Amino acid sequence: MNHSLTLSRRGVFGAAILCCALLFGGCSAVFVASYDETTERLLTELSQKTETAVVRADAGQLSPEDRETFFSESLGTVRTLKARSALFAKNEDEIAALAQLEQRFEALQKHGGPPRSSLATGLRGTLLDLQQIQIAKKRSSIFSAGLKKSSSKP
Amino acid sequence: MSINISQLIQSMLGAATGAAKGHGEDLKNYLQARAKLIAEGAAAIASDRLEGKINDDDVTFAFDEIKESEKSAAAAVSVTLKAAAQDAINAALNVAASAINTAVGVAIL
Repeated sequence: MNHSLTLSRRGVFGAAILCCALLFGGCSAVFVASYDETTERLLTELSQKTETAVVRADAGQLSPEDRETFFSESLGTVRTLKARSALFAKNEDEIAALAQLEQRFEALQKHGGPPRSSLATGLRGTLLDLQQIQIAKKRSSIFSAGLKKSSSKP
Repeated sequence: MSINISQLIQSMLGAATGAAKGHGEDLKNYLQARAKLIAEGAAAIASDRLEGKINDDDVTFAFDEIKESEKSAAAAVSVTLKAAAQDAINAALNVAASAINTAVGVAIL
């Protein structure tokens, strides 16, 4: 009798441990999409290209042909980023920010004239916002990797 | 070995706070950079208008674009806060899992 009771208690204890393992081991909180190195690289290149165009526009050195090339290439990059971002779950904020970036480029192109720093502040602000999104995701990704390492240690 | 609940709560809070702190510093730096960008943009708008490099329509356009860009600023703040919450919760869960492992004497979690 006592022996079967001990077995039963062991069973309950084992089940409780299994429940805890499922609760803590398999269910870490995920509120934002994982960091994507390609997205960050494309955004950095786009920011660099934009800053170069703004400097050249301020100096009166951006020809109308160069301006059109800048806008068409930039819009191509933004649309590539939008398509890529849509592949990740929990990425709604980044997708919304990229839609805003597309609008900023289109509005500046439609407005006409060189993209001087006085006219491009909204665009540069949205680029900064997207860089901050990458910083937050990267920090979180590094932190999660550290947690996994520390929890896998015996 | 039993779990000391009050000690565990303190450890979980400490881990959660530590995890969120880095995001808090990033957010502060980002907001400073954004304020600087807008201030410099406003100065450039005024300067270009005074020098006749842009007209009144350009000024209106430039300021409207700054206002529109605040939508993506909200998205950036939202992602940072969500990432901070995610790391804080996972750090606290990690401490709780370690406490269970130590209490049962086996690395189950």
